[in-house]
Order: sequence, then C-alpha cells, then structure tokens
Amino acid sequence: MKRFSLTAFSVDHPWLVIAIVAVITLGFAIQFPKITIDTDPKNMLPATSDVRVYNDSVEKDFSLHKDTIVLGIVNKHGIFNQTTLEKIAKITDEILKLKGIVTRDVTSFTTVDDVMSTGDSITVKPLMSEIPKTQQEIDAFKKSIYENPLIVDRLISKDGTTTAIYIPLEPGANGKEIADRVKDIVAKEKGDEQYYVAGDPVARDTFGAEMFKQMGFFSPIAGMVMMIVLYILFGNFGLISSVMAVAMISVIWSMGLLIGLGYPVHIMSSMIPVFLMAIATDSIHIFNEFYFRFRETRDKKQAVLDTMKVVGQPVKYTALATAAGFGVLAIMHIIPVKVFGIFIAFGTIVIRLMSFSLIPAAMMLVSEKNILKAAGGEDEKENLAPECFYQGRAARPRFKHSGTSILKKLGAIGAHKSTTTVTVGIIVLIFAAIGISRINVNNNMVKWFKKGSDVRKSDRIINEKLGGTALGYIVAASEEDDFIKKPETMRYIESLQRDLEKLPNVGKTFSVVDYVKRINRVFNNNVPAFDRVPDTKEAIAQYLFMFSMSAKPSDLDNVVDYPFRKANIWIQLKTWDANAMQDVIDRVKAYTAQYPLSGAQFKPAGAAYFNLVWNNEVLYDMLKGFILALIIVFVILVFNFRSFKWALIAYMPLLFTIAVIYGAVGFMGKDFDMPISVLSCLSLGMAVDFAIHFISRFRRRIGEKSEVEKMRSLEDEEKILTSQPLNLSTSQLPNSELITDALLWTAARPGKGIIRNAILFATAFSAMIFAPLTPYVTVGLFIAGMMFLSALMSIIYLPALIVMFRRWLFIVDGKTSRCSLPIYGRPPEAD
Amino acid sequence: MNKVRSQESGVKKWMMGILVVLLLLTAYCLLPTVSHAADASGIMKKSQLAFLYPGKDMKIRVYMKLISQDGKERVREMTMLRKNYQEGGDQKYFIYFYQPADVRDMTFMVYKYAAKDDDRWIFMPALNMVRRIAANDKRSSFVGSDFTYEDVSGRDIEDDNHSIAKEEKVGERDAYVIKSAPKDEKGADFSYKLSWIDKGSFLPIKEEYYDKRGELYKTFTSDEIKDMQGFPVITKRTMKDAKTGHRTEVAYQKTEFNIGLTDDVFTERYLKKPLKKWIE
Repeated sequence: MKRFSLTAFSVDHPWLVIAIVAVITLGFAIQFPKITIDTDPKNMLPATSDVRVYNDSVEKDFSLHKDTIVLGIVNKHGIFNQTTLEKIAKITDEILKLKGIVTRDVTSFTTVDDVMSTGDSITVKPLMSEIPKTQQEIDAFKKSIYENPLIVDRLISKDGTTTAIYIPLEPGANGKEIADRVKDIVAKEKGDEQYYVAGDPVARDTFGAEMFKQMGFFSPIAGMVMMIVLYILFGNFGLISSVMAVAMISVIWSMGLLIGLGYPVHIMSSMIPVFLMAIATDSIHIFNEFYFRFRETRDKKQAVLDTMKVVGQPVKYTALATAAGFGVLAIMHIIPVKVFGIFIAFGTIVIRLMSFSLIPAAMMLVSEKNILKAAGGEDEKENLAPECFYQGRAARPRFKHSGTSILKKLGAIGAHKSTTTVTVGIIVLIFAAIGISRINVNNNMVKWFKKGSDVRKSDRIINEKLGGTALGYIVAASEEDDFIKKPETMRYIESLQRDLEKLPNVGKTFSVVDYVKRINRVFNNNVPAFDRVPDTKEAIAQYLFMFSMSAKPSDLDNVVDYPFRKANIWIQLKTWDANAMQDVIDRVKAYTAQYPLSGAQFKPAGAAYFNLVWNNEVLYDMLKGFILALIIVFVILVFNFRSFKWALIAYMPLLFTIAVIYGAVGFMGKDFDMPISVLSCLSLGMAVDFAIHFISRFRRRIGEKSEVEKMRSLEDEEKILTSQPLNLSTSQLPNSELITDALLWTAARPGKGIIRNAILFATAFSAMIFAPLTPYVTVGLFIAGMMFLSALMSIIYLPALIVMFRRWLFIVDGKTSRCSLPIYGRPPEAD
Repeated sequence: MNKVRSQESGVKKWMMGILVVLLLLTAYCLLPTVSHAADASGIMKKSQLAFLYPGKDMKIRVYMKLISQDGKERVREMTMLRKNYQEGGDQKYFIYFYQPADVRDMTFMVYKYAAKDDDRWIFMPALNMVRRIAANDKRSSFVGSDFTYEDVSGRDIEDDNHSIAKEEKVGERDAYVIKSAPKDEKGADFSYKLSWIDKGSFLPIKEEYYDKRGELYKTFTSDEIKDMQGFPVITKRTMKDAKTGHRTEVAYQKTEFNIGLTDDVFTERYLKKPLKKWIE
C-alpha cells in the first residue's frame, strides 16, 4: 500500500513533495562541475584487457606509436615539380615544430631514411635531403623513388599525384587539435595542391569534440520540440512543465550520481540524457487518462487518485521493463556498457518515482479552470459521438473526434480482419528475417561522419591513392635470439607479405625484409636481381648493422625487437572496417597452417586489430545483453499479466518492431555498430511499453465490462456464447462482441495516449536527422521509426492477435480466467 | 638674453654629461658580454681539445650498451683507434667490432675533416665487401646508439653561437654552463644545447639538448672521469633520450695514448684484414 500512500501523500502535500524533490535535485546538480570526459572508444575496454596489454607490449617491443595522423598532399598534375616538392619540405618543417607530436618519427620525403647507391658509395639519408631543381634532377629523384618499394604506396601513389606525411602523436595528445594545427599550416599554402588530414585519432577526437557539441545542441532542441508538441496535445503549460521537469530531474539525478561517483562521461554515457528524456515521456499516459477522468468527475483530487489507480499498474511495469532492459547491461563485461545500463536503469526508476509523486503533486497545483479548458477540448470532441458502442455506462466517453475515430478504425482493422492482419504480419516478418540475416556487426568510426564530411573525404582519398589509413600489425615471434635474421625466416615473412597483399583491403605491407632486400640491391650496384633476401644470416646481420649505423634508430626498432626474436609486419588497410583485419588474421592462419614455420608464431596487433577486438567484445557484449534483456522483459511481462499467454501476446509488437527495424538496417546495409547497439536496448524498453499499456487497459476494461454485463443480463450473454461456433462449457468467456468493443475502446482511449507518446517522441527526435554526425541521425530515425512501428503494432496487431487467439487467451485449463482479478487483486508493490 | 643663453648651454652641458654617463654605462654593460662570448667560444674550443684530441693517437676498447626504457639491452663491443692529424681538425678513426657476434670482424673507418664532409668506409666480412658510405648526415645515430656521429667525433665550434649562461657547481666540480645555438637553424637537430664544462679538466660533465620546440630531448652525462697517462678521460658516459627513455651507456675498458699508430692502419687493406696488435 506504500505506492498508494506516496501518491496520496503527494496529492495532500504537493508543495512539500516539490520542495523535497528540488532539494535532492540540487544535491545531484552540484556534482556536475566535477565532470570528466573521455571520448576515446579505446577506453571502453579496460587498460588491463588482454588486447590492450598485448598491444602495449607490441608497441614497446617495436617503439611504435599508438596514434598517427596522415596528411595527404595531392596535386592532380603530379607532385614531381619543384614547387610542390618545396611545399612538402616546408610543411614538414612546420609540422616538426608542433607540440604533441613525436618529432623524430614524423615520416615524409624529407625525413624518411633511404638507402641508395650513388656512384661508388652507399648513402643512407633522408629521401629528399635536397630539393631537386632541374628537370634532370627531378626525373632522377622520381626514378629513385619508384625503384624503392619501401616508399611506393606509403609516401608516393603509383600515379605520382599523392604523397603523405605521417605524424605520430605523443601519448595523450588530442588528435583533433593537432589535425587542426596541421590544417592551419597547410591553409597558408596556395597553389594546385590539395590537403587531406586523416587517421584514427582525427576521426576519434573530432567525434569526441563534436559529440558534446551536438549533445548540447540537439538535446535542448529535442526538449523544445517535445514541449511544443506536448502543449499542442495537452494545452496546459503547468502540466507539460511537470513532464519536462520529470525528464530533467531524472537526467540530473542519474548524471549527477554518475559524475559524483567519479565515472567519466563516455560516448555511451553521453547518450543517457537523450534516452532518459525519451523514457520520461511515458508519463503522458498519466495525463492522457487524467484528462479523461477529470472531465468525467470534475473532482481533481479524485481524478488524480483514480488515474493513478488505473494507470499506475502499466506505468509501473513499463518502467520496470525499461529499467530491466538497461539494467541487464550491468552484468556485461565492458565497464562503460555497465555504467550506461545501470545509470539509465536508475534514471528510469527516478522517472517512475516522479510519476507517483511529483506528477500527482503537479496535477494538484494546476488550476482546475485551466485543466478544464484543456481537457474540455477533449470532452467536447468526444461528446460529439453519436454512437455508443457500449451501453453499460452512460458516463463513458464516446469517441468520435478525428484522432480517436482513426484510432478506432485502426483497431478495427486488426479486430475485424485478424487473419489478414496476422498473415500480412508474418510476411513482413519473413522479409525482416532476411534483412536481419544480412546485418553486419561492425564499427567503423570514420563512417560516423557523413559522406561529404572532411574526415570521411580525406580518409577516402588517402585510401584510394596510398596504402591505407588503417594500420594493423602481424608479429612473428620466436623464442630464439636472432631468429629473424635467418634467411629462411626472412623469406617466409616475405612470402607471407605477398600472400596478404592479395587481400582486396590490404594496401601495403612492410617489414624488416623490405629493408634487407633494399640494402642488398643497393650494395650490389642497384642491380634489380639483387632485390632479394641474401643467402646467409651473417650477410643479413651485417646489412642490418650497417643500416643501423646510419639510419634513425626507429627505422629498425619499428620492425624488429631487440634480440631479433620478433619481427613486426606492418599492414596498411584501406578501411577501418573490422572485417578487413579479420580477413588478414584468417589469411595468416590459413597460410601458417599450410606452410608451417617451426619455432615461430604469428599474432595480430595494432589499432586495426584493436578495433576488431573492440568490435567483438563491446558489440557482442551489447548483443548478448540485448538478448538477455529480451528474455527478462518477457519474464516481467509474465509477472505483469500473471499469465504466460498474455505475456506472449504483449511480446509480439516488441518482437515485430525490433524485427522490422533490424530487417531494415540489414537491407540498408548499415552496420550493427555502437550507436545501433545502444539503441537496441532502448527499443526494447520502449517498444514493449505500448503493449503493456494496451493489454493492461484492455484486460481491465473487459474485466469491468464482463461483470457489469453479467449483472445486467446473464441470459443475454449465454445466448451470445452459445451462438459461437465453438461452444465452451463455461459461462465466463467474454463474448466476441464484448472483446471487439473493449479492443476498440482500448485502441481509442489508452491508444490515444500511445499515439500521443509516439508522435511526441518521433517529432522530438526527428530533429536529430539534421545532425552532421551519422550516429545522431541514426538515433533520430531509429527512435522515430520505433515509436511509430510499436504504436501501430500495438493498435492494429494486438487486436488482431487477441481476436484470433481469444479462446486460447481466456481459457486456463478448460476454464476461463477472470483476467481482471489476478491483475488487480493485488495492488502493485511499493516504489 | 645672455643669461638665458648661458642657462641653455648649462642645460646642454648637463644633458651631454648624462648622455656620456649613459653611454659609458651601456658600454660597460656590453663589454663583459662581448668578452664572455669570446670566452664561451674559447671554452668550447678548449673543451673539444680535451674531449676529442688528447694525445697523438689513442686506442680504446669500447663497451656500449643500448638500453631500452623497459630494460632490454643490445651490446656493441669494439676497438676504436684514433689518430690526430691537426689539432682541433683532421682525424682518422678505425673501428673493429667484436659484438654483436654476427658482425664480428666488421670494420669501419672514418676520415674526419675540419672543413668538409667525412669519408667513411665499411667492410662486411660476410660479403667480403668494402663500401664507401656517403656521410652527409652527421646527425644520424652512431651504430644504432643514442649518440650521433657528431656526438662521437665532434661538431664544428664555428657552426654555433656560444655564450656563457651561468657558472655553477656540478657535484665537486666548478663548471661553466655554455649555451650553444646553431647559426644555421637547419644545421642541427637542436635549437640550443647547454654544456656544463668542468673548469679544471675542460671536459663536458653534462649536456642538455633542446629541440626546435624548446623541449629537452636528450641528455649527456659523464659518469666517471679518470686520469689516463696524464690525460683526463671520461671513462663512463651515458646519452639518454628524454622522450623515449632509451639510453646508451659507454664504458672505456682499456685506454692507451700515444701508441704510435701508423698511417697504413687507416687503409682499405687493413680494413679487410686489421693487424691483431692494433685491435686487441
């Protein structure tokens, strides 16, 4: 009885309740200045996770850098002219002065070491230590560059139009800030050249920066649109303020708690406010019913209490379903996923608490005149109804204004043409299943930017021209010192490289073998036949030693470890798609299985590999959570309806909505990426709401009616019953007319709440379709689509299913269940 | 009128006086700087002689450890021969490698010239091949260590502007702190370096290198200075990369001066087949 007392208490002491809520909210709000932000998706996996520990050790073994920005310089007339070459040199010099970059390992024409033979001597020096001036010098330079496989596809495109500067970042440097400064440098240059800045850190940090901007921009817009729509629907400013207040309060409480507990705000947790705002709109059902009730009784307090009595149950269970849908994420492995789940679940519970306290309190404070004015509109429209589909109670509203009559018609489609509706549904489901089978679990951050965006364009152009912006490694590891210097190891790595290069997404591979071959050729008077691994280990060792005597230490360190036990093969990929790296790994497995190299193992590493693991861990974790949540929501439905059968029926719109949405995702060729995976949990919590409202109210309605009917005319009912094709021995089965009437009533009255909720939602979030980052567009479309689908499903599909399975639904073990009693026999538990 | 004029001239004289005093003051302030600059250059010259030119010739067994940040080591062991041909100028170096094992018998020879690029040759026993190595970059790493060729064989004093930044004690030793900045910005990796020069031995006790962004990127330290045949010698030294944490430790195991190295040691014939007495 606690819930009841909470509502009653709120109704009796509205100001006190508001004051208490305000004080608690203030307490959470003062946590906000402590906010810390972490936009690096890498941190979704803890620093102690296997892949990060392993990647760190590989980075240490080979003195590698976590993050590298690529500056692509394109001159469509070719870069081999004095002006462009001078610009390359000048820009490199400027870049070397930037803070936050690893100066010594910046790779460009003027900094990359090259081994070449000039006359009788060998030179190890930067590829372009002096800018060639005469045409002759330029031609010679061009020739020497194309002879060097270390450079082609890395620093020069095959067509000669594109070069690149690779800029490694110091740990903790912000990729977007450095990219911006690089852009400032190139902005000063005039001429034919075009400049493109790409690389994982740019995408990541640009997204991080944009994310908060857009959250700050679109959340308020969504909020404003919501307010306007609410005003149109309910016409009372006081009441809609309380809906918005509930949304804000839940956001402040949960974000305040999150920040207060010291969690950083992640990409995922930054979506909490939007989600809570969405969930908070559930209180519309309360207002919807309140308006009907108030118009009927004209007693505000009674209307509030009655409303809560009727709507309390579904509101409680929808909140429970939503909280469970997100709460289940708490048992996942990935910490930000857990945090996200727990705090949305918390926010949902806050919303529910407010539904039973703040909202009743607010309803008490709104002047009766104003409500009457707003609710009167509702009343007026409904009183125009000439027909009365049920005679039992004259005071019942009649439905004949445009909105409700459409709803009734929709409900009627399902109720009267149940077989057709269900058949159509099954066909749609089959299509959806085909779409779902096409879904690709993949996360590619570059794709979070729109096609025309700088980030995406740069990435595309550099990937077209050069080896690729995505970098992975294959580490060959043995337990034997100097293992890598053996000619057989070298040749093995070489043929593995050639094999990997056959993959369509592999743009370039690069290893210590390439240095050895290059030096061998240079030492043998640049004769192309010597572009191969020499025959003895000593020769290889001495070449490498010679090279290390002149080159930058990192040249060798990046490709072999200290005791020459390990070699690092660089794999440049043309896409950040996780499958590209998976293909590489599969290929390596197949190759090493076919031609085993004793004493050595080949293991993947690097950013592209990390992405792959991240993909598998985070996305599959979300997917697992989602499936688990599906099960839990079903269990909650069983509890709510105290009936397995009704739970199954209520489950259908949810399954249907999810199937159709994911089917569409599959058909559109959109990846199941992080934003989509996050949304799936929301879809679950929201899509089931409408079904809960619909079925709860329907069953309550039919329970009331059955009894009224029974009292009125027991004989009539029996007559109707016996007229049914399948005569049932019990007298308690509601007749089909009763069912149909109740369905239509439900479609019209609580259905109005459902449609209002859907419209509100869809309009508010459709604003996000105009966001420049695709995840927000996805969120907008997804939420809008989901709301409409599940609303329509509830209003059309549920009646069809209920009519179709009415006997099965209303009969338990040969007896009809008295559906109203199990639900309402026990009042819902305490808040 | 006159009175006014004399008054005017009085003011003028007075002002001239002030001007003279000011000029003198300025000159006084400037003078020590000028002499300091001269001193700084002189100190660096003296230091280079003490550091790189002691004796007529020299033979040392060098033990070099390249140590990564996480403690992994690579070893270079070599005998280095050096002969001076001109004080503060031309020198010849001959290096024979013992370790790593697979490069044993490799030899390396450098003719260092005061005014032009070095000549370098390398012999690779596995290929029985001598090759000249063009040496247009003195800034590249010496045998993969944190030392550059310039660190090993010296940088032209005239390439930098030197000034005394301060004088301070390092441990027991009084030292000049000389700030050197390259005259040609492109002529060096550092934007400036600070050298702590021991006032007694003129050996560098410590050096700090700052990159173009003004950030410290490597540090040289003399860890042990010993007297060898009357010459103060840095027998243990470290160069540490401030950015990567990588460091190179060098220890001189045998040091002999004035052993009478003949010119034919520094020829291609000896490069392929060095005499035992010189390399052991």
